[in-house]
Amino acid sequence: MDIDDILREVDPTSSGVPNETSDLQSLTRLWVAERSAPELLEWPSGGLFERINDRIKAQIEKIEILTGDMDPKTNFALIVIQTELERYKFLVRSYLRARIAKIDKHTLHYLSSEELRSRLSETELAYATRHQALLHNHYLSSFLSSFPTQLQNLNDTAGNVSMIDSPDLDAAVFIRMLRDRPVTGQGTDADITLNASNGEVLILRWSSAKSIVEDGDAELV
Amino acid sequence: MALPLPPGLVPSEVAFLCEMEHVTIVPRQRLESIELLSGATPSLRPPRRENIPLWLALLLKKQRRANILPPPWLHVDSLRDLIHHETVTDPTGWSLPPPPPVRADGRGNARRLNSDATTVLSPPFLPSCTSSAPAGALPYHWFEFAEMLLAHASDDVPSASDVRSLLRDLQEVRAAKMRTSIAGLESGVDGVMSLLGVGAMELSESRGFVTGVVEGVRKLGASAEASRREEEEERGGADDDEPSDDDMGI
Repeated sequence: MDIDDILREVDPTSSGVPNETSDLQSLTRLWVAERSAPELLEWPSGGLFERINDRIKAQIEKIEILTGDMDPKTNFALIVIQTELERYKFLVRSYLRARIAKIDKHTLHYLSSEELRSRLSETELAYATRHQALLHNHYLSSFLSSFPTQLQNLNDTAGNVSMIDSPDLDAAVFIRMLRDRPVTGQGTDADITLNASNGEVLILRWSSAKSIVEDGDAELV
Repeated sequence: MALPLPPGLVPSEVAFLCEMEHVTIVPRQRLESIELLSGATPSLRPPRRENIPLWLALLLKKQRRANILPPPWLHVDSLRDLIHHETVTDPTGWSLPPPPPVRADGRGNARRLNSDATTVLSPPFLPSCTSSAPAGALPYHWFEFAEMLLAHASDDVPSASDVRSLLRDLQEVRAAKMRTSIAGLESGVDGVMSLLGVGAMELSESRGFVTGVVEGVRKLGASAEASRREEEEERGGADDDEPSDDDMGI
């Protein structure tokens, strides 16, 4: 910490949140949201994941250098660094795995439209496409090929019944408000609007909560 | 490879989140600043107090390199006040969460810490478990935090056994309120239900049950809801042609 950091800390006009903290907050928020939301959320733009991956790589390199000298004083610092790295990696891994679980469950749904495809990252899109292709080939070779041709599709929407399973967007979620604002929710017996204050926890349908969460006025918990 | 856990944080994940809460420690040994992924730790010089994440504080505590200062809300008096508030003053709702942190802007005004930041901070990144946190208000991660502190650093908590029994009382009072709020769903489900002041572990504990009830009611009342919406639309269409906000985006 040098004099600039100290000055920034006491400067009343700066927001006082260092980059690393705000990245960790963003990652934590993304992870919690992905764990709670019934559908797959947007892949974060703005290079958050590139930044995080670069930092993890740099930290691993640092550990490799530090393990070289086994000085008892740096030894404890090494333990702390490794513990923190593991915590960070857990967050990243759990986030990606939660996304893969959702993609696996409704692969065809997320591949069905351009809007939904854009939520996936490049690697996730490649994974989903190949996974679906493999699955389709397997079905074809094991049983679909003996069906009549018109029944071989996996994404038939004939007769107003879609074969593509999609997540339940009306599922109930818990959100916590980040700003004071009125919240409108749809209910079975009544649609009501509630004036929610910062920090308040609400239960409502994901379809009602989505726009508030996307505006950044609330987060999923 | 894919995560096999159900949607919503499970208790171990809530505890993981809680370990990111910042806590005040009194170091017993010097320790230089360490560059971490979440930012550098303050360099520790006894006996200057510093705020560090709980996981690090517990690590230092285990190695007897520091003592943890429990937050003001974890003191016996504060807990007694809270129990009094929960049982006598307001027997229906939970006690209010701590107010959002404010900061002087140098011109004699106080404004919220978060008001213009690009990334709005929320628990566990708010300083709600440090020694500067307000007494008499339970932060979001209160239960996990108190449990962890009592399990690993009970010698740092003044009159730990009293605190432990008061916490149990508090937890029971609040759990009963959670159950009554669910029983309130019998009379009808509105669009938004507020749980002002609820804690993370309490939420995680009853998440499955609450969402189960809300989902069940929604499925049972789906046809009634659809006909109500149709009726409203017809009435709205007769009065004026403007669609109401509720009909949008479904």
